[in-house]
Amino acid sequence: MSNQAIYEELDNVINSLLQGDTARVEQSDSTVGELLLLASALRQMPRPEFRSRLRLELQKESARLSGSDALPHAARRGSLISVTGGASRRASDEQILPTLFGAGYGNYPVHRSNFVVSAVLHAAAIAIVLASSLWLAGHPQQVKQQVISLIGPGDYTLPAAKTKAGGGGGGGDHDKLAASKGSAPRFASEQITPPAIVIRNDNPKLAAEPTVVGPPDIKLPQTATLGDPLSRILTSSNGTGSGSGIGTGDGGGIGSGSGSGPGVGPGHGGGIGGGIYRVGGGVSAPRVIYDPDPEYSEEARQAKYQGTVVLWIVIGADGRARDVRVSRALGMGLDQKAVEAVRSWRFQPAMKDGHPVAVQVNVEVNFRLY
Amino acid sequence: MKAQLPEMGLKAVEAETDERLLIEAAQRDPRRFGELYENNFDRVYAFIASRVFDRSEAEDLTAEVFHQALAKLGQFEWRGAPFIAWLLRIASNAIADRWQKRSRYPEISDSDLEEPGAEDGTERRVMLAQLLEELPSDQKLVMVRRFLDQRSIRDIALELKRSEGAVKQLQFRALESLRNRMGEKR
Repeated sequence: MSNQAIYEELDNVINSLLQGDTARVEQSDSTVGELLLLASALRQMPRPEFRSRLRLELQKESARLSGSDALPHAARRGSLISVTGGASRRASDEQILPTLFGAGYGNYPVHRSNFVVSAVLHAAAIAIVLASSLWLAGHPQQVKQQVISLIGPGDYTLPAAKTKAGGGGGGGDHDKLAASKGSAPRFASEQITPPAIVIRNDNPKLAAEPTVVGPPDIKLPQTATLGDPLSRILTSSNGTGSGSGIGTGDGGGIGSGSGSGPGVGPGHGGGIGGGIYRVGGGVSAPRVIYDPDPEYSEEARQAKYQGTVVLWIVIGADGRARDVRVSRALGMGLDQKAVEAVRSWRFQPAMKDGHPVAVQVNVEVNFRLY
Repeated sequence: MKAQLPEMGLKAVEAETDERLLIEAAQRDPRRFGELYENNFDRVYAFIASRVFDRSEAEDLTAEVFHQALAKLGQFEWRGAPFIAWLLRIASNAIADRWQKRSRYPEISDSDLEEPGAEDGTERRVMLAQLLEELPSDQKLVMVRRFLDQRSIRDIALELKRSEGAVKQLQFRALESLRNRMGEKR
């Protein structure tokens, strides 16, 4: 018997079974007979809607017994028989989910008061989040466990210089003659070798170009002979001063006045005319453009030590801090932390006559624990 | 095999504890009865259907059993026996009452009302209901439409948009699959 014939034979006998014709069923062969036993059992299985209808009745009854006025719906959690797939089941789920306004109420062991409590708790949580956000926005400094305030030169009010910036000068090697005329050596950020007209040591162990301290990008007229540009003496001489420079002062620069620095001219420090520039008097203040916070040292943190470190720094024309010195120490490693931080700072350099110049400023670094 | 015995015993204890908690919850709040209903529906219906043979009557009696169970749930006392035993006792009484009301069944054999065993067909019907759920969706749909809804092959073919021959083939495959799986589980 072909498969198609078996399908037909089985269906014919099933038709007889469903119509109550047991005679034909009893005459069927063994292969079909086994399947008919199953078909007979299937015929007695409950209709799909019966199970859901009974569930609905029981829900109503149980709701009545529990004293609830709930209105049970036809399905719950999609556990009812569904032969048409998940769409109707999902639709049922959407209809029975309990809501604040009572829809679906009674299908789940919940009380309406639960929704109220939930809504109040959510509202409180949102209010706390909003309030804390506003407070954080208004009190940024208090949020940090450790607060380090840095007062940079940009917002540190420096007194204006009483006179125009000047400085440099000095030098000489106790010659009997005043310093001879010549040009100043080139400017550099730091001086390694002071200028000299008369070389006393022809074979230095480490030769270096003589420089004076000043803005490196400022070019002065250069001649073959070093000397004091303001002198009128032509006989070679380093000057009557001291300090290995050229002039009558006691520094490593060039100058005829009482200068004592590595610059050119009377005064102190570097630069033309002597002295490191200070803010004011034609020199604008540098501005911090990158200032990462310093770290709190572990020792100071454990000791809950706090205070203020004052640093003396020179901000070069390149915008970097150099010659960082601790003007007022605090100890416990905080000085080093402050120095490390300030060295990593970057500045928009001070300006004088349209050119960036190095200036000296003081920086306060406050270490506070809250 | 021996190593599995403690695990099986543990699972049985866990199932018993879960059912007991479920019953206690339903006794406090009758709305929890729905879970007991879902857990026991197949077995109660199979027990009744294997004795009544008429589907409408089996459905009627099943509904009566669960309504009674819900009404008397507060009287149930946990004594170690599973909840289904209590439900089947209610079912036995309901069947007996139904038969006694009919003159053609003047006498009722006690064996007819015994709780399910290996030979009464209840377990077979429960297994069949479970296996029906595991059939592929197209075969399951054909079985439900053909035997539960008692629809014709032509109606089913129209619904499935397939030929009558294809539906007959699905019908055969589904019954064959059920037979084979039941043979495996015995």
